[in-house]
Amino acid sequence: MIGVGGLALAPLAVAGALLLRRAWTHADARRPWLIVGGWALLAAALVASAPILGVVRGPSIMLALASTVALAVVAVGVELRTARRKAPRELALEPSDRRRVAWRGWLRGFLAGPLGGAAAMGVGLAVAVCFPAEVKTRLIIGGMLVPFLWAGGMAWTLSDDKILRALAVLVGVTVLGFGAVFLKGTL
Amino acid sequence: MHVPQAKPKPGKPIWPKIPAAFVRAMLAGHSALGLAFAALIYLVCFSGAVAVFTSEFNRWEQPTAPVLHSVTPAAVGAAFEEVLAKNPKAHDLFIRMPEPALPRLSVHGDDAKGGEHTWFADASGRIVAEQRTPWSEFQARLHTALHLPGTWGFFLVGLTGVALLSSLVSGVLSHPRVFKDAFAFRWGGSKRLQEADLHNRISVWGLPFHVVVSLTGAFLGLSVLIVGVLAMVVFDGDREKVFALFSGPPVADDARPAPVIDVARGLAVLQAQNPRAGFNYIFVEHPGETGQHMSVNRTTPGKLSRGEIIIVDGDAKVLGPAGFESGNLGMAIYSSLTPLHFGWFGGWPVKVAYFLLGLGLTAVTASGVAIWLARRRDKGRPAPRWERVWVAFCWSQPLAYAVSAIVALLAPSVPPVAVWGGVTLAANACAFLWTPATLSIRLRLTSAVALALVALVHLGLNTGRPVDPVAWILDASLVLGAGLLAASVWASRRTAQA
Repeated sequence: MIGVGGLALAPLAVAGALLLRRAWTHADARRPWLIVGGWALLAAALVASAPILGVVRGPSIMLALASTVALAVVAVGVELRTARRKAPRELALEPSDRRRVAWRGWLRGFLAGPLGGAAAMGVGLAVAVCFPAEVKTRLIIGGMLVPFLWAGGMAWTLSDDKILRALAVLVGVTVLGFGAVFLKGTL
Repeated sequence: MHVPQAKPKPGKPIWPKIPAAFVRAMLAGHSALGLAFAALIYLVCFSGAVAVFTSEFNRWEQPTAPVLHSVTPAAVGAAFEEVLAKNPKAHDLFIRMPEPALPRLSVHGDDAKGGEHTWFADASGRIVAEQRTPWSEFQARLHTALHLPGTWGFFLVGLTGVALLSSLVSGVLSHPRVFKDAFAFRWGGSKRLQEADLHNRISVWGLPFHVVVSLTGAFLGLSVLIVGVLAMVVFDGDREKVFALFSGPPVADDARPAPVIDVARGLAVLQAQNPRAGFNYIFVEHPGETGQHMSVNRTTPGKLSRGEIIIVDGDAKVLGPAGFESGNLGMAIYSSLTPLHFGWFGGWPVKVAYFLLGLGLTAVTASGVAIWLARRRDKGRPAPRWERVWVAFCWSQPLAYAVSAIVALLAPSVPPVAVWGGVTLAANACAFLWTPATLSIRLRLTSAVALALVALVHLGLNTGRPVDPVAWILDASLVLGAGLLAASVWASRRTAQA
């Protein structure tokens, strides 16, 4: 039974998350062992799921269930604070303050959006066309790379203050990627 | 839950020290991207959490259709022939066979005027009813294409997936306290700290799920664009040549008339060859032509993939598999994307986990904007209008979904998307009337009432009839959801009074 198989391993994940939480709340000599034990139980649930539920499907099931039970452990440990009492000051960092210049904003949006997408598409298609593997494998891997690279490029260009450098890199990657595709021309 | 406890003594950090300037730059990028895409990400995540149960909502919306746990090839063939007889010139027909998530036999095809229909059949293959599930179709299309025309919707959803994936990257890189705060979840007191704890805890512990759904969703949404550009570059714009690579053994088009394909015999041949496998759909193309053939999807227990497509020609001769399960790595990855994205690979426990994690990702999006708004307020630059608009938008969705479901049950001819849009606009208009706290409480309470009403209306329409038991489970879940929403209002009032 599909569902029961996944649930049978869930207690391992619960125990792992509880050990990690115990390590987090008690800073004593046992802490390193609790951390190792917690992660070991989570890993054991993942490994055991492969023969029981399927080599790829089992770990996929366990990752979903383990994430859910870990969040449940976090939720159970919620610390209720009173609204009127001023909370202690936290040391969270603030986002960097940038000068608000319109052209920089538009350029940054262009880099993160269309140009980042074109660069990612160029690399993905270059992999699809030029990578030494079976046609369908390189098509899928090249295709999967597009959103991944686009997302990475987006994160980078929106964070990097030196946007002209980002512009140069993205233009270069786009030209190289599509250049390789056009040079080869076929699958 | 427990009351404030002694703060754990900070140990030596095991996460490498990240320069503060880098974290601040990442936070700036994370913030800009999150704000730009907040509403879209929220909508896609919320609709995605609901879409996990698309099969169950199909069963719930028309619960009197026959529930079949298995079906004979003869019954499948009979259902196919009866639907084909309605329009012998049909270009193609799609047959769904019973499987655990959707135990029904149905045939989808178009009529002579081009209108599309799906019919349910009983265990003997006799057509007994036409499928009428407007709300289930509405919610699925809202998630996959936002009801936008053409491929624009798919592209926008794919782009939203890219933005979400990018936010995950910048979010992880701008979180130097990932281990130090691993289980910190403080509620009440500082609004900003509360939202930050909610945002960071769900983000970190749900990270594997967030990466999987955003990457697969972005790929599925952008695949139209990727295929288009690939076809333009290497196939002179012919997309069909790209799709043909994944379609299995080709069957040449030949429009000359021929005896209609024997679906029952083709399926029986495949069942004899694969006695332990399941078969969940058949796509019959060009019935009645010499070039007719069918693509049969075979499912293998224990595999993540959607199944293996096997091509059978008009003479019931098996031409071979497309290679999704027996082919290369690329095909294996491709066939696992949809199950991985929607949580359709591990039975109901995984679906429930995906639903909760999907709602968690929705909460992450909501809290991300709330953190930005609270930070502005803390710095003496409050944005009260945006605070109201964001609260109204977030809580408009449970209400809009519930009201559209009620209308779909009572008046199936009214397009649910129109009702959803109208309720979303009306709820957002409330931002002009009330404070964020009032908006949150009133919209939650109204949503709770509407959710309970959905279950009541459904019960009223179906009590006394033979009904798919999943429908009662969903009704009970809706009442539970209504109760939890109402309880959340009570809890937030208590926290505010404490």
